[in-house]
Amino acid sequence: MTDPIAAKENAPRVARDVAVRASHVSMDFGNGVLAVNDASFELEKGRFLTILGPSGSGKTTLLQMIAGFQKQTAGEITINGKPVDAAPPHRRSIGMVFQKLALFPHMTAAENVAFPLKMRRFNPRQIAGRVDQFLDLVRLGGYGDRRINALSGGQQQRVAIARALVFEPDLLLLDEPLAALDVKLREEMQLEFRRIQHQLGVTTINVTHDQREALVVSDNIIVMDGGRIQQQAEPVELYRAPENPFVAGFLGLSSFVDGSATADGNLKVGDIVVQGTSARDFAAGTRVVAAIRAEQIRLAGTSEALGACDMKLEGRVADTIFEGERQMYVVEIGALSGATFRVYHHDPDSFGLFRVGDPVALGWNRRDLKIFSPAA
Amino acid sequence: MHVRTGGFPVLIMAVACLPAGTGPGQTLSTRHRNAAMPEIPSKDDTHTTFRYPLRWRIMDALNGGLDRFWPARMSPYTGWALIMPALLLVGVLVLGLFEMADNSLHTLDRATFRLSEAYTLENYQTVMESATYGRVITRSVFAAGLTVFFTLLLALPYAYIMVRTTSSAVRKALLVTLFLPFFIGQVVRAYGLLIILGTTGVANNALGLVGIEPMRLLFNFPAVVFGLVQYMLPFAVLMLAPALTAIPRETETAASSLGANWVQGFRHVVLPMAKPGLIGAGLVVGTLALTDFAMPAMLGGGSQDFIANAIYDQFFRTADQGLGAALALLLVVLGSVIVGIVISIFGAGTLGMGNRK
Ligand SMILES: Nc1ncnc2c1ncn2[C@@H]1O[C@H](COP(=O)(O)OP(=O)(O)O)[C@@H](O)[C@H]1O
Ligand SMILES: [Mg+2]
Repeated sequence: MTDPIAAKENAPRVARDVAVRASHVSMDFGNGVLAVNDASFELEKGRFLTILGPSGSGKTTLLQMIAGFQKQTAGEITINGKPVDAAPPHRRSIGMVFQKLALFPHMTAAENVAFPLKMRRFNPRQIAGRVDQFLDLVRLGGYGDRRINALSGGQQQRVAIARALVFEPDLLLLDEPLAALDVKLREEMQLEFRRIQHQLGVTTINVTHDQREALVVSDNIIVMDGGRIQQQAEPVELYRAPENPFVAGFLGLSSFVDGSATADGNLKVGDIVVQGTSARDFAAGTRVVAAIRAEQIRLAGTSEALGACDMKLEGRVADTIFEGERQMYVVEIGALSGATFRVYHHDPDSFGLFRVGDPVALGWNRRDLKIFSPAA
Repeated sequence: MHVRTGGFPVLIMAVACLPAGTGPGQTLSTRHRNAAMPEIPSKDDTHTTFRYPLRWRIMDALNGGLDRFWPARMSPYTGWALIMPALLLVGVLVLGLFEMADNSLHTLDRATFRLSEAYTLENYQTVMESATYGRVITRSVFAAGLTVFFTLLLALPYAYIMVRTTSSAVRKALLVTLFLPFFIGQVVRAYGLLIILGTTGVANNALGLVGIEPMRLLFNFPAVVFGLVQYMLPFAVLMLAPALTAIPRETETAASSLGANWVQGFRHVVLPMAKPGLIGAGLVVGTLALTDFAMPAMLGGGSQDFIANAIYDQFFRTADQGLGAALALLLVVLGSVIVGIVISIFGAGTLGMGNRK
């Protein structure tokens, strides 16, 4: 297999500004597992990248190494072509918003925002104007005199963003700063992040375990698990074409079926051949796993009622879960050795259509059932 | 007055959390069946994985005893009951203070060695007009101020390193070094300093090695301040450590990412955030130093008396209780005024007591 980074470096230079480049970066805390395992990626200038992964997958560690607060045990990270640790932390041009915000409680909102300007010796006559400008940018105009603990959670977020951006850093790093907010506020702040990032065009790396946040705010997403980068892609691409079972399961709601590959690229479970599609060829008989998303399965009372589908199976409703904007049915297919499928209904008229135990039929199109080699 | 019971002993709180009717020795599954709760499928009771911990049984027993001694209907008075011992203690002190105030208003009759019948302000006049007492009071205040300054100067880096070091060996070493002096006591430590600082002591021997003539390091003002700083350091570190621990490491990382070098981060972020601890430690060290007896007595050799030494002389040497009481009251007033000024400048909130001023 060719090394993607080396391949790119050997290719003729395209006019494309790379802001952050990580090549074969690993972090070994000496406890037996690599917190970050051979991570390589590139980020173009002005783009918004999200590192998405479950808790403990190494996101923070990777971000800390990009910020230069921790030193990787292998590999190299460059920002604008220079290694991160070429300068001491306070000389780097990196703005960071921390998970716990780390605002200075003994200063007002405006003083917090002015702090980096003072430390970085901006012209004192320009500081006041600039602080106001950035408080306006995060829609906190008029709140400058407030003490930090006299601000709401969302307002504190905004101060933290203004403080990280006011000195116009080359790179903005966000370590799950929205994780502690309630859902409404979090969704509001996600849009704020996107608006501010578009307005300033600052290269941004955001870390989160929230797939919705990643899909909403990013130009580009890296999915991490167990210290490894699982896939890097644009949001729609990532959702549409997951490269492995982990990504298929982490974004959206997928159902999985174990089986073996057939010669014509389908999936065989017991005696039944299930129509599916795969990005690569498997030798017949190879153990594989297939995934299909809940919104890509059709559900009806009988096979006839399903209409045209590549694949039709009959089963029973094992559970129904009402989520408000949609109804989820868990359907058990006896013929596939009891595999269960989760199906969404989004039309309120069909909510409550089936009850536990009802016989139902499932159908899907071939391209929607994706076949992978099993997770390592 | 409403007394908060927030500080109610943890033990009782923990016991109160247990549902009523949980007898010792019962497993959770049987309890669930007794209470009006949905039946939980359980394995046979002879084989349960959860055993009711001994600690909980002890607490249940204590709770049972407490219930008999202090029934639930008394709970509105719980706060008062808890604060009673403290009130009694303070009450006794205040009574003593009144007694002393009364004594200070009578002069000593040298013929009978009794206090005079008539009330008079003569004792206070004596103190005010005496150059010696003036010097003693100024010296005490000045020494206390210097002690606060030097102690905090030394305690802050000590506490900071102890809190921030990543090496647990370093932290343990610093902690042990900190607690050792507590086992030794002030008098023994002062005596140790006498040995070290004496004309033939370790300090002078060391100076001799680099060719400096032995000099008098003892029985002067710097020796007393030195002794006081050395004595107060552990108190100050112990008061500063929690204040520094309360500053998240992330806050310092943030300062550095915003462009502050270490010194700037310390000055603009750590110091202001540690202010409550610094003021609290300063007050404790200051009042302890102001009222200190042993250091001036032993390291001052009689030439560096503080107010406490003067009071001692009046009570136990000249037996002039009236004058001693007057000096003691002046000391109480002096200390209270200083504490009052500090609190009114910085607010009680800065001492970490309550959220507001
Ligand atoms: N300083 C450290 N020392 C040892 N292990 C660490 C340290 N920091 C993180 N780890 C380990 O590295 C792994 C990844 O952690 P982290 O990067 O914090 O994950 P995430 O941010 O994705 O939740 C975890 O298993 C964690 O226990
Ligand atoms: Mg993390």
